[in-house]
Amino acid sequence: MAVRKDANTLSAAERAEFVAAIQALKAEGIYDQFVLRHANAIMSAIHRSPAFLPWHRRFIFDLELELQRVSGNPDLGIPYWNWPSGSANASMWNDNLLGGNGDAQGIVRTGPFRAGQWTVVNASGLPAGPLMRAFGQSGLPTLPTQGEINQVMTVTPYDVSPWNLSSNPSFRNQLEGWIGPNLHNRGHVWVGGSMLPMTSPNDPVFFMHHCMVDKIWHDWQIRFPNQRYLPETGGPFGQNLTDPMDSTPSGQIGPRPIDVLNSAALGIVYDGIITQPQPAIPHIIVGANPTQADIASPGETDLFQFEIPSFGPYTMYTTGSSDTFMTLLGPNDPNAQVASNDDGGENLNSQITRNLSAGIYYLRIRLFSARTTGNYAVGVRSDGNNPNPVTELIIDGASINAAISAANESDLYRLNITTEGTYTIQTNGTTDTFITLHGPNSQIPVIASNDDGGASFNARIRRQITAGEYFVRVRHFSPIGTGPYAIRVTRE
Amino acid sequence: MAHHKEIFEDCEIEIKEDTNLLINGKEIDYEHDRDINKWSSRYLPYTRYDSLLEMARAIAQHTVEFSNAKE
Ligand SMILES: [Cu+2]
Repeated sequence: MAVRKDANTLSAAERAEFVAAIQALKAEGIYDQFVLRHANAIMSAIHRSPAFLPWHRRFIFDLELELQRVSGNPDLGIPYWNWPSGSANASMWNDNLLGGNGDAQGIVRTGPFRAGQWTVVNASGLPAGPLMRAFGQSGLPTLPTQGEINQVMTVTPYDVSPWNLSSNPSFRNQLEGWIGPNLHNRGHVWVGGSMLPMTSPNDPVFFMHHCMVDKIWHDWQIRFPNQRYLPETGGPFGQNLTDPMDSTPSGQIGPRPIDVLNSAALGIVYDGIITQPQPAIPHIIVGANPTQADIASPGETDLFQFEIPSFGPYTMYTTGSSDTFMTLLGPNDPNAQVASNDDGGENLNSQITRNLSAGIYYLRIRLFSARTTGNYAVGVRSDGNNPNPVTELIIDGASINAAISAANESDLYRLNITTEGTYTIQTNGTTDTFITLHGPNSQIPVIASNDDGGASFNARIRRQITAGEYFVRVRHFSPIGTGPYAIRVTRE
Repeated sequence: MAHHKEIFEDCEIEIKEDTNLLINGKEIDYEHDRDINKWSSRYLPYTRYDSLLEMARAIAQHTVEFSNAKE
């Protein structure tokens, strides 16, 4: 695990450990290999384009692994340069970490990377003089403020055609700095000197700078869990989700953007705080009216889950006036793609019809264009013999006899409440049932659930319910359990 | 069509016919975005410049292939 901390907060021991590790890599020649990997990449393949963020994430991750190796500390993380508190008088520029500004000619004469101690290399790997810095002297006199970072943190989608320094709206382009307040580019220009050309990793602050860039991307990914990396396909080669990126060797992780999208999965932790985005996935109930949803910010992707109780033909569809794009995943694996569709439904709606075996499936819905927003509704229906697969539960009516006849099966019932009151939903029999109550007028929210509130192992929910349409789902308590039951609803 | 030649930071910058840029005799690739009238080059990935000469001076000064910093 790499624990990445604000460089200004490092203890003296942490500073010494980081500096010693950098110096050890320099002595081994490994550090200069990183400079060359950056310097000899095609400039526009790793900058001014979507792969800018994943390329540099992989790049600093690889250096971090080397730092961990030479230091013997598996938790060593690259410190990040927190720009709003990182200007010339910040402690990260002290002699026990980075050293300070260059002299009148720009030559760094203080700290561990001073002239005589540290020699930069040119793009051929040949020695090319001392490290140079000229804080604020290269046209941009100030660093990004927290307000400017916060502003960029609101931008979606991730990126947009033409996938370059003109892309707009584009989180990547704003973070890189070609539009908006200028974050990343400004850090390079503010330091000046050795941080300006393609050999910029010659200055160790490069890695702290890109650690900050990576942290902002990471924070944005947590803030917008439905925003995905773009382009998935159709962009220039090397920029698409599953293209290998330029100048990225095979290593512990892969060379494609998709291989580095999840920082937490790479073992990266910021300031010791583990943040796991775990948004609840809304449920679609098979056979119910379509669920209303919307793409509120450009580029968003919505994720839904639904359960197929038994093998048969099913149709997954959207309705409405938006041009939706649908991907079906499963069973029981949100990363296993089954099918995708753009305009198979009415107008520009998506529709997929196919035989599905029992299990949990997932639908990813986005709009065809990552630039637009809009509403839609999404539903799943059975195309089996029963035209209405949702059985009505009649209040104070006779018990309905049914059975969980296969593993993972669940039965769904519709409940139409016309008068507010206290209702009891319960099963009878020898099966260990579990019931959930959903509504009103929506299949998504679970308003009550129960395992053994009834006789023996039967489930029972007693509850005050307002008028509306509700849904009751019955399953076995055990995912592999089966057995018959009877279900009934009564009103007090 | 203007020709320009100067020595900047010990580098010879030559611009032929306002378009062909040479530094120390080496031809330099660059891009000119006509919409916003800015110049950029693969040598300096983080910046754009308001004129070809301004960019040429920045390349001469900051790119280790051309600059000659003395200790
Ligand atoms: Cu870079």
